Amino acid sequence: MALKRKPRPDFESLRELFKPHIESFDYLVEAGLETMFQNVKAVEVYDPFTMKKLRIWLGKPELYPPQKERLSKTMRDALFPHECRQAKISYTGKFVADVCFQYDDGVIIREKFNFGQFPIMLQSKLCHLRGVDPQKIVSYKEEAAEMGGYFILNGLERVVRLLILPKRNHPMSMVRNSFSDRREGYTDKAVVIRCVRQDQSSVTVKLYYLRNGSARLGFWVKGREYLLPVGVVLKALIDTTDHEIYVNLTCCYNEKYEKEKGAVGTQLLGERAVIILDEVRDLSLFTRLQCLQHIGESFQALMDGLEEDSYPVVADAVLKNYIFVHLDNNHDKFNLLILMLQKLFSLIDQTSVPDNSDSLQNQEVLLPGHLITLYLKEKLEDWLQKAKKLLQDDITNKSKIFDFCSLAQVKKVMDKNPARQISSAVENMLKTGRLVTQTGLDLQQRAGYTVQAERLNFLRFVSHFRAVHRGASFAGLRTTTVRKLLPESWGFLCPVHTPDGEPCGLLNHMTCTCRITSYFDSQGNIKDFFKIRLSILNILIGVGMTPSLPKLVLAGPPEVLHVLLDGCVVGSIPSSEVEKIVVYLRRLKVSSASVIPDDLEVGYVPMSMGGAYPGLYLFTSPSRFVRPVKNISIPSDESQNIEFIGPFEQVFMEIRCPDGIDGGRRSVFPATHEEIHPTGMLSVVANLTPWSDHNQSPRNMYQCQMAKQTMAFSSQAICFRADQKLYHLQTPQSPIVRTSSYTKYAMDEYPTGTNAIVAVLAYTGYDMEDAMILNKSSVDRGMFHGQIYQTETIDLTDQGSRSDRIQKVFRRSNIDKSSHSLIDSDGLPYVGQMIRPDEPYCSMYNEVTGAINTFKRKGSDPAYVDYVAVDVKNKKHLHKVNIRFRHPRNPVIGDKFSSRHGQKGVCSQLWPDIDMPFSGVTGMRPDLIINPHAFPSRMTIAMLLESVAAKGGSLHGEFVDATPFGSSVKKENGEPGLKSDSLVDELGVMLRKKGFNYHGVEVLYSGVYGTELTCEIFIGPVYYQRLRHMVSDKFQVRSTGTVDQVTRQPIKGRKRGGGIRFGEMERDSMLAHGAAYLLHDRLHTSSDHHIADVCSICGSILTTTFIQQQKRIVREIGGLPPGRAPKKVTCHSCKTSKGMETVAMPYVFRYLAAELAAMNIKMTLKLSDGAGA
Amino acid sequence: MEGMSYARTPRVKIRELKDDYAKFELRDTDASIANALRRVMIAEVPTIAIDLVEIEVNSSVLNDEFIAHRLGLIPLTSERAMAMRFSRDCDACDGDGQCEFCSVEFHLRAKCISDQTLDVTSKDLYSPDHTVVPVDFSDPSGEESSEQRGIIIVKLRRGQELRLRAIARKGIGKDHAKWSPAATVTFMYEPDIHINEDLMETLTLEEKRTWVESSPTRVFDIDANTHQVLVVDPEAYTYDDEVIKKAEAMGKPGLVEISAKQDSFIFTVESTGAIKASQLVLNAIEILKQKLDAVRLSEDTVEADDQFGELGAHMRGG
Repeated sequence: MALKRKPRPDFESLRELFKPHIESFDYLVEAGLETMFQNVKAVEVYDPFTMKKLRIWLGKPELYPPQKERLSKTMRDALFPHECRQAKISYTGKFVADVCFQYDDGVIIREKFNFGQFPIMLQSKLCHLRGVDPQKIVSYKEEAAEMGGYFILNGLERVVRLLILPKRNHPMSMVRNSFSDRREGYTDKAVVIRCVRQDQSSVTVKLYYLRNGSARLGFWVKGREYLLPVGVVLKALIDTTDHEIYVNLTCCYNEKYEKEKGAVGTQLLGERAVIILDEVRDLSLFTRLQCLQHIGESFQALMDGLEEDSYPVVADAVLKNYIFVHLDNNHDKFNLLILMLQKLFSLIDQTSVPDNSDSLQNQEVLLPGHLITLYLKEKLEDWLQKAKKLLQDDITNKSKIFDFCSLAQVKKVMDKNPARQISSAVENMLKTGRLVTQTGLDLQQRAGYTVQAERLNFLRFVSHFRAVHRGASFAGLRTTTVRKLLPESWGFLCPVHTPDGEPCGLLNHMTCTCRITSYFDSQGNIKDFFKIRLSILNILIGVGMTPSLPKLVLAGPPEVLHVLLDGCVVGSIPSSEVEKIVVYLRRLKVSSASVIPDDLEVGYVPMSMGGAYPGLYLFTSPSRFVRPVKNISIPSDESQNIEFIGPFEQVFMEIRCPDGIDGGRRSVFPATHEEIHPTGMLSVVANLTPWSDHNQSPRNMYQCQMAKQTMAFSSQAICFRADQKLYHLQTPQSPIVRTSSYTKYAMDEYPTGTNAIVAVLAYTGYDMEDAMILNKSSVDRGMFHGQIYQTETIDLTDQGSRSDRIQKVFRRSNIDKSSHSLIDSDGLPYVGQMIRPDEPYCSMYNEVTGAINTFKRKGSDPAYVDYVAVDVKNKKHLHKVNIRFRHPRNPVIGDKFSSRHGQKGVCSQLWPDIDMPFSGVTGMRPDLIINPHAFPSRMTIAMLLESVAAKGGSLHGEFVDATPFGSSVKKENGEPGLKSDSLVDELGVMLRKKGFNYHGVEVLYSGVYGTELTCEIFIGPVYYQRLRHMVSDKFQVRSTGTVDQVTRQPIKGRKRGGGIRFGEMERDSMLAHGAAYLLHDRLHTSSDHHIADVCSICGSILTTTFIQQQKRIVREIGGLPPGRAPKKVTCHSCKTSKGMETVAMPYVFRYLAAELAAMNIKMTLKLSDGAGA
Repeated sequence: MEGMSYARTPRVKIRELKDDYAKFELRDTDASIANALRRVMIAEVPTIAIDLVEIEVNSSVLNDEFIAHRLGLIPLTSERAMAMRFSRDCDACDGDGQCEFCSVEFHLRAKCISDQTLDVTSKDLYSPDHTVVPVDFSDPSGEESSEQRGIIIVKLRRGQELRLRAIARKGIGKDHAKWSPAATVTFMYEPDIHINEDLMETLTLEEKRTWVESSPTRVFDIDANTHQVLVVDPEAYTYDDEVIKKAEAMGKPGLVEISAKQDSFIFTVESTGAIKASQLVLNAIEILKQKLDAVRLSEDTVEADDQFGELGAHMRGG
């Protein structure tokens, strides 16, 4: 067969979308663990009897690819993700590490400890699917486009949500009311820096301004904030003099430059410096040692393992572990603190504005690998501490014989707190998204770190990986400032793709071009940040920077600008030189020959009159947002001109649109950069909307929402999947009108809809108010057919108590033959069998009791058994099965559909084909009719364009490119993007060529009368999506049924066959209409109508009781039923049956009486007959 | 005008006739009749289509319902359909649709044993009745191209198998589109085009040309010699009013007058292949007649219901 094979889709751009997740985990595997292990504090156990000290620390972590449990030690099989999904287990690999023991200064003994089964991210370096080409990956029962980036835990796919964090190692000035509440004398202003160590753990340090002019350094230790006078810290950091501190602090003030552009200091600086120094003197701390001692004394109780050490040692540890942890050198810390003080004072003096912590400029992202590292570190430290405690307990416990010198015994004691728990703690964290931690890990939230990666359709799946959440703590905030779309996020976060409603603006999505810096360079090698920083330093010094070490240059803006490299004050540059240097740095960044990484952020904050605090801030750190733009200041003959820029530097850059015009820029600031394509500012999902630039913007937002709830071609490996619920469209199509992203991201692998012939007319009235009419014949022929796949996992070992675990097997009853048509001899259903509601599909036999239990289908619609998967781990008996059911979901009245332009509608009729309007020329009948009123107020012009374009495209047999902003892109040859002056013209000409109307309208004839419709009808193919909301899953009806036990009112809940509440507001409207009978019917007759016996003597309804009549033997007369014996009711308290009356009332009233009686409140009824009242 | 009868004698003139395509004129009648004919052709001319599928083995990638649905949509040759009974009112088998009068049984057995994908097509449907078989779309000219191996039902990979029994029944397009014998049936009103020659002559050649080109379809042309505007193909006119609008825009309203002849229709019929296009028209007229008979009879008596045979069912089930 000479079949033309379609070229294999290229998944590279798709893979790029998942990279942040995978790269961060890869780093964890390759180097992150190692680094983190080195940073885990060693513990020391001291035995007072043997006078020996045991030091325990960790080393050499090793992670292994997932493998199957096997009994034999030699054979080990790889565990594949697909097996985990089916068996509902976790995709985990062995985690082993050395635990090192050392007695006093003896030899180091290394012992391998098993730290359990560690979750492995799919497509990471340890995953079996990594680097496997698409054809091969299919043989592993995966999708060809399996992108990974998630974990499989108990068979569920979970993603770590990307979370916004404050930018690391960057001092930020802030104004918060909560600061002033901290303690007496505090103002609302502070400079905050989130310092991050190499192992990703962070400590936030806040420098508060006091009303008296001084400042306090605040940092969190074990869940409490401690505040130190800044002077003490300054003095404790290095050997210095008061004069030096004074000069350092005041250096940024110079009378000469006062009130000049870029001046940040004021004359108040000197006074404040004096106050700071006086404060220290008042504490009678003069030397560095005294300061250290002061700090050590206050913190000794908090520092684990330093109880015995001297105060200066403790103080050193405090400075090392809590203050500016990203820096190793105390001189650097000193310089940074000086800079922060200057920034703080400038904020007070209003020579600079506070930084906006809600702006992307000051933010970065928390990556999965980093979160796991953080959490794991804490767990390891906890484990060591626990081990230490256990050992210490055993030493002090005299009753037990414990030989401290025997390593075997030490290990045995340590085993009381198994090391395996560490991996399961990580697994649990990923499973629940909840951090179980004492310290809080310097993170704002405890829960919501992971979400399930739903595969409702591929777009939803991708969106999970591109979503960036602002943080759960902001969701509760009543202010809307955090939700605002700020210009700083341009190009990094999509302005369109955010849900409306509750999480609006908090859950954003990265644009399709946005990347996140990682530990890997473009060649895939791990970056050596030390080397990179050193070479940047050398380059800076080479171009005229004065290095700050050994001493900071005693000058400040506007004379010189400070240079910060990853939060370290490395020097200063004369302000006249800065701009040249920035340009030079950018040049180096782009050129491949230099050692400077291409994602270096050159944040040059220029001098201004009271704007942002000036300086040159360089960042090389990972987990920053970056995006590519063209650097046009570099001569174009150098082929490399794509530069990665970050949100911090972007604010101060001149980037123009690629339309060749300067965008109203003043000639003083010529554009230095150019966007690659305007669509780069949209997310993947937003990019798929054709001509979204012609739509009203909220419509594009709605489309982003609806694209993610479309029933689409969910998975190519559908037969191997065991998802709880999977929506599947039977016959999807590739859209005729598509954007360039559609091909770029190989969306043809997962199409989401059908090209339906849509006529826009008001026909029959069934298309009013966003209803739509589907052509019955089109539906008959398979349009929008689909099914829901639903998997039930039955694990017999889970059922019941521990004792009868093993006794249960799958088997059907031999006595009861009624189920044999549904259940096969193995106790499992026949594949392909239809199972109606309440029919059994699976039967279980208890070998001890001999009882047979069947599993019955719930719900209201029949299902087909699609697939049965069994677990063969247990050779003798099956214990675990997955049964996948298939629910057909063909379109019916009430199902929801939508075009790609936020135009959703509900099917109101399946209209006969012959009654549909038809074209006299082609005989074409529409598949779908929508109402023209859907357009004027919504202004989804792109939908009209799509209709015309798709018509032209299908007539010419080609796809139509509908990339938005096509007119804003200059072609290579300098021409604008479009051939003719308007898009409509281009499309209209296409139609004309084939003899169709230029505007896409056609003369249609009424299908019912055969007469010409009075106006021409706009008709053409539009790509329609079927949304997952279907009536079959939602309808709720009831006539009579189960009632609540207590109130005897109908129960609620669709699943249980309950009714729909006729509530208070409904009652109100009935009252307003005076519909008394209807009200009585709804609330009484059809609800808990009850006829109660009331004793008119005592007025009680509770004391009445039936008296059991003796069974009189009634002779049956001629086969007639015996006459009803009269009911005899007496009052228990009155001891008489006189005065008994029956009264109709709601049953809840009787219940109320009973409840009141229980509280010793008697309720009596006064009866009177209606006439007398 | 006394004694004038409103009865008309519609005339049909066949223009083009192929197996699956027919084009004819229907004159001297009105839109209601023309449309009734169209509607009957689409929805009420019976054909035979697979209606019941019993799947024995299906290890293909498509699920049972999907395959059953695909089988249903395969057109079967349905010349017999008019004579057959609806299985719901078949006396021979009490309506369970298993007898020769109302059903045809098909079998399909396919298993892929090679490494190459096996295409299971409509040709693999085996029928004992040679009058009811899947429609053969292969080119009668004898060029047997590989694509013409019938309608693909499913593709099988090595080891996959499909075994099923299918029962085809008579039905109409109203019940399900699979029974519709018509791919497209449409009619248009014959246009009546009058060019105002005097006004036309006031136009320059260039103006004429732009006016002629304003119609997206080639209705008018300019005589190369006389430079006169001619109506070359009135039926290409789609009633889009483009030329009229153009004339108005040129400041020459009334340049051309176009009206639809209310009693002449040009029909285009395309058949799915289940029955010949010509037969489709004839059957449609037959059914239309039966329907009219039913209306006439129903005035007299309800008992006469038996006489209409299958039409009674139509009237009731409707």
